[in-house]
Amino acid sequence: MDLGLIIYALNLSAIYALMAIGISILWSSVGIINMAHGATFAVSGYAAWLITGVMKPVIAEMLGNGGLATFAMAGTLVGSALVAGALCGVVIYLLAFLPIHDKPNFQVRALIVTLGLNIAAVQGLLWTFGPRNQGLPKIFGFGRWEVWGTKIRYDQAGTIIGAAIIMTLTLAWLRYSRRGLEVRAMMQNAEGAAYSGISRQVTALPVLMLTGALAGMAAALLSQTIFVSPTAGVIPLVKGLTIALLGGLGSVPGAMIGALLVGFLEAIVGAIPFLGQRYVMFATFLFIIAVLIIRPRGIGGLLDDTRE
Amino acid sequence: MSEKRFHKVGRRPYELRLTPDGSAERARGRLPGTKRHWLQWRDVHNPKTLRRERVLVDKKPLWWVIGLSFLVIITPFLPNSLISVVSIFCVYASINVLWTLIIGTAGIFSLATLAVVGASGYIAAAANVYLGVPWPFMLLIGPLAGLVFGAVLAAPSTRLDGLYYALLTMGVAEICRVFVMQLRPLTASGGAITNVDSFIPEDWFLQRPGLLLGFAGAFLLLLGALLVWRLVNSERLGMLLRVAKTSREDEAFAEAIGIDFRRARLLVFVISSAALGVVGAFYAMYFRSISPQIFSLDQLLLLFAMMVIGGLGRAEGAVIGAAVVTIIDKGLITLGPPRIILVALIMIGVTIFAREGLTGARDQFRDFRKRKAGERRAGRTDKGGEAMPEEATDVHDKQELYYRRFNKRLRDRLKELITPELIEEHKRDPLGHHSDALSRVLNYFRRGEMADKYVIHRMIPAEEKFRIMAVSGQRGMPPRVVDDREYTDIKDAYHAVFLLRVNDLLES
Repeated sequence: MDLGLIIYALNLSAIYALMAIGISILWSSVGIINMAHGATFAVSGYAAWLITGVMKPVIAEMLGNGGLATFAMAGTLVGSALVAGALCGVVIYLLAFLPIHDKPNFQVRALIVTLGLNIAAVQGLLWTFGPRNQGLPKIFGFGRWEVWGTKIRYDQAGTIIGAAIIMTLTLAWLRYSRRGLEVRAMMQNAEGAAYSGISRQVTALPVLMLTGALAGMAAALLSQTIFVSPTAGVIPLVKGLTIALLGGLGSVPGAMIGALLVGFLEAIVGAIPFLGQRYVMFATFLFIIAVLIIRPRGIGGLLDDTRE
Repeated sequence: MSEKRFHKVGRRPYELRLTPDGSAERARGRLPGTKRHWLQWRDVHNPKTLRRERVLVDKKPLWWVIGLSFLVIITPFLPNSLISVVSIFCVYASINVLWTLIIGTAGIFSLATLAVVGASGYIAAAANVYLGVPWPFMLLIGPLAGLVFGAVLAAPSTRLDGLYYALLTMGVAEICRVFVMQLRPLTASGGAITNVDSFIPEDWFLQRPGLLLGFAGAFLLLLGALLVWRLVNSERLGMLLRVAKTSREDEAFAEAIGIDFRRARLLVFVISSAALGVVGAFYAMYFRSISPQIFSLDQLLLLFAMMVIGGLGRAEGAVIGAAVVTIIDKGLITLGPPRIILVALIMIGVTIFAREGLTGARDQFRDFRKRKAGERRAGRTDKGGEAMPEEATDVHDKQELYYRRFNKRLRDRLKELITPELIEEHKRDPLGHHSDALSRVLNYFRRGEMADKYVIHRMIPAEEKFRIMAVSGQRGMPPRVVDDREYTDIKDAYHAVFLLRVNDLLES
């Protein structure tokens, strides 16, 4: 296996992990399977596209065309995507959590509401912007590094590093902050958390904003490799859901390992000559289904078992 | 003498009641070959008129007949475009009814329904186009394929939990789509199989007679799906599954009484999959082609939206939801993308506000009205209602409630009469001629219920030694001693009883 393949696999894994961790955290703490995650992805991509489009002349006028301008551009893009994702999280909180969180069948109903939100958002984007792909400014620039005889594209490296930073920040927040402690308590045992005075309503909002921002980050990073389109969220959503499932819904390390596994699997299947890119999805799903049939609780369940 | 007129008041909703001839013998038709009656008539006794009345307990069959015959009567008069809309509605409704069987009756949250339909449709169409099997056999190949596919899909459902399984089956649909798209012989047509033979003759295709024939087929398909639903859901399998329906405890209970609910669930899943195979074959024949579009997530979500809007787990919900969504999706096609947004918004609204979709709205409204009425009644209790609202609805004899209200008002009046002077008057002379106020109070005390009524007990015969006891009010149960005080004068005992009763009155 050469280095290029590893970099490609890591690139895929980074994006998948961002999506899957968001879905996993949300499920285990709040109890929503967020089908609107793909819509969040697409909406933040479009928001980043709109805002960078507006800001580009402004930044060019203020800072010229140097490295500082690129840096400002990158900040604008990532920042707008993050903010848009978090705002989507607020919308989901207001529609899919607040009105129904204390009613019977909350999980199925939340699933349905987020599904509806997903459909509405994708169709809304399609209606407003049309089905055309939109290219976002390349914040990492064009070009490649030469490392041990392999060429690494800037956007790949940037995606891997950016995703790693964001994930580290998220995990650190979960690990060390007061709010993160509450979220972890809810992930472990929602009822117990409620008994210790952790409000579900209050904690759900930051969780939804965080997972939305994660999806926004994924959109900003993926937009460096591919274009933004209204239906761009579908594949990341399906992949994120299945990887979260593979990791055992609710287990953050499980989701990360799952994302790495699937990323490498896709890269390898894509590289095998007689299978090729066409069978990537096929192989992924077969792999995940096989794992789930053998280990119904996914990798997270496996981790729990070894810990015990 | 004219019959007394009664006005419609109270909680009983107005309903049509037949008044059968009491002397005539009861004759009820039965469904041929079964022991079931056509309609569920019940004879009831009207406590007001004291007459026998006949009520239709379950009015759903009537609504089904009205709705379906409306569809049959109206369709031949519709323009061509609307006829195909109605036919598509029938196909979607039958898929939804069968899906309801899987989600509602079997309780397996499967999202692979369209995958089953598509896979069996593809296999049937391929058999027709590439092997030259005539079209009537497609209706056999389809269910066989559905049966096999359903059995494969059902296998992991016992191992995986609800939502895990849902996501897994979504993956299966995706696999099917990718697989079909990658098939080499189909790449030229974008993964579609075209020129499928059909029950609609080739030169009638998309003509008016062809459309009408297509509608007839789709309608029969819907009837068949409803029949399958009825046979599975309301007969033995459905009854077994209803025991294990709602919770884990129910599952344990079902297991304990010897119901193999897992097997029953799998059976329902496989049966509906086979039926979905028929729908798949019909789908391929109706459109004369089948494309990977059927596996797409959008199509799946649209169908799911139908079920959610109508009410998950009910056949009528599946059909009504299909009607609503098909009208918006196909009828308002000029609207463009906003119509899908409209569907999504309806779906969100229904999920947030309705407990069980549109078909559950009536029950939900009734519950709401009942609750509000209870709240209003509770608000009235301080005016002298005396019965808590829940109790008031349960007490059959409303006279009892009015008596309690009267009693409360009476007590309120009497409480005002009790003054130190009145007590002093009684102490002076427990027996004898009293003032108006005191005689009213004593009259009330004398009229009290037997239970807990105070009595004076002469402890030793012919000796002036008394104590106060309270009667149990139940036959065979001895009176209980109220306190250990003893009185040597009967007048003191009389007055002690009086004070106890006054105390009770003031506390009530």
